[in-house]
Amino acid sequence: MAVYKKHYRGYQGPLTSAWSRFLVPVRYTFEDLNRSRFLTLFFLGTLIWPVLCAVFIWLGHNLSALTLLKIPAGKFISIDVLFFQTYLGFQSMLAFFMTAFVGPGLVSPDLANNAVPLYLARPFSRVEYVVGKMSVLVILLSAMTWLPGLALYGFQGYLEGNAWAGQNTRIASALFAGSMVYILILSFLALALSAWVKWRPVAGALLFGVFFVAAGFGTAINQVLRTKWGHLINLGYLIGTVWTELFEERLRRGPGAVFFRIKSDEEIPVWAAWTALGMVCVICAWMLNKKIRGVEVVR
Amino acid sequence: MSAGAIVFDNVSRFYGEVLGINRVNLTIPPGVTSLVGPNGSGKTTLMNLMTGLLRPTRGQVRVLGIRPDDPEKLFRVAGYCAQFDAFPKGLSGYQFIYSYLRVHGFSRADADQRAWQALERAGLTEAAGRVVAGYSKGMRQRVKLAQAIAHSPQVLVLDEPLNGLDPMARAETIALFRSLGEQGMHVIVSSHILHEVDRISDQVILLSHGYVVAEGQIQGVRSEVKEQPAQILIRSNQSQLLAARLFERNHVVEARLEEDGRGLLVRTRDADSLYLLLNSLVVEMGLEVEKVEPADEDVNSVYQYLIGSEGSAT
Repeated sequence: MAVYKKHYRGYQGPLTSAWSRFLVPVRYTFEDLNRSRFLTLFFLGTLIWPVLCAVFIWLGHNLSALTLLKIPAGKFISIDVLFFQTYLGFQSMLAFFMTAFVGPGLVSPDLANNAVPLYLARPFSRVEYVVGKMSVLVILLSAMTWLPGLALYGFQGYLEGNAWAGQNTRIASALFAGSMVYILILSFLALALSAWVKWRPVAGALLFGVFFVAAGFGTAINQVLRTKWGHLINLGYLIGTVWTELFEERLRRGPGAVFFRIKSDEEIPVWAAWTALGMVCVICAWMLNKKIRGVEVVR
Repeated sequence: MSAGAIVFDNVSRFYGEVLGINRVNLTIPPGVTSLVGPNGSGKTTLMNLMTGLLRPTRGQVRVLGIRPDDPEKLFRVAGYCAQFDAFPKGLSGYQFIYSYLRVHGFSRADADQRAWQALERAGLTEAAGRVVAGYSKGMRQRVKLAQAIAHSPQVLVLDEPLNGLDPMARAETIALFRSLGEQGMHVIVSSHILHEVDRISDQVILLSHGYVVAEGQIQGVRSEVKEQPAQILIRSNQSQLLAARLFERNHVVEARLEEDGRGLLVRTRDADSLYLLLNSLVVEMGLEVEKVEPADEDVNSVYQYLIGSEGSAT
């Protein structure tokens, strides 16, 4: 047996806090995304609608401007729940396209290049890996949906007065909660599909399939079985149901929002919508658990 | 369990119906330990278990007293270099090491300093700015090794680290392993290249079909293989006479003269008795002995005795 001097000492110094390490892959992914001119332009394009909404809010409080534009004050867009719901509906459509572009590239390259063990052979768990990758979408989509939405709410509150802001806190909470529900569903779906389908264009196409083909199947089920429960596989419908509840509670005034229209005679209970969305998250988590592993076991 | 060793306590790992490793009991001390065995013998499974990338179906693994399913603690002391190329797209050699040091928890300045140190150690300073995808096979091996040692681990787990290296890089890498092992680091290496395993290792673990066939220092393992007579090479000025005298003993089963007439390869069932006999014959016959050395106390021989031709090791 060799005699070792044993003067080797591993690193004993300080490390950054464990909770913040998931931000490292986030930063690298953003650097990567930033190299795509198309994505940068697309992201900037998504801010056009919020800017227009801000202009509408400003015009709504500027009689002289309305007069100049020859728009009767009473006939101008009213800044209310439907205004914000429509805002979010439009932005969510753009968020969907953004997810279809960005999402498939988050996990599949790591799996295709066997790079997952590199993360997991660090003080870094599978959950942190998924949270890190998901954070890319959460940050990006938040910047497109609820962050500008809350800025618009603040702008409207500033112009209308504190009383309006106080009476309409539900709009602010619905903007945040509704967006987050949507963002989480999109992120989970994008990551799960990215983990299972290593070819990026196919993963992107599948995301469209999950939303639109499933919606078609749901409608077909409703037609054939003369039921409304087929909407349980229509993600747009489920999110629309949840949004309507979040924005309007039981005082429903509209058909939902752009992209998430709900037919008045085909409503499903809100609890069913929440449950179905929860199930989607559980299935996606299961799919990620199966694929995001340090070692892929091939039997 | 020993806090200063890597301990496998009755560990089994199955992939469904397929056996990965079965009932492995091991205590791996500091130094360079080589895992040797044919393809599918369980080497990579053993490595993945000690790095927490796989969980045991049964039993417990401890790395310096740490459970491998606690990555926060484990990877403060462990570094892993996987067998297959594993590189995120588009990163340069420097970015590759720097970014994973950041994931590890090093500050920007520390990560930068360590990344350059590791690149220098791997001889890749000049190629640091180039994209890893453009590296040669040998350079990719070295950058993988660099990322495994960059955070100064106490346990280094390296799956086939010599594959693809040119002879010069191979010699440098082996010297690095030896140096780290001598300093008291646990260096666990799997390799198919048996003559290099001999040069690297303080101890070997031989695996076959998911079972540990033998473990320990190679001389000790060889002495345990009782059913195979020991081979001893004796070079002297009277090899023919010596062969005749040795054959008088029952424990000598074969004596073969080498072409030059000075070398005599003896196979014996009792090496200790042979050495005693040789001492007395030197005095009695006036032998001039140039060299006496065991001819099969190496990994290759032990591998052939214990695992035979079923494996593909070379």
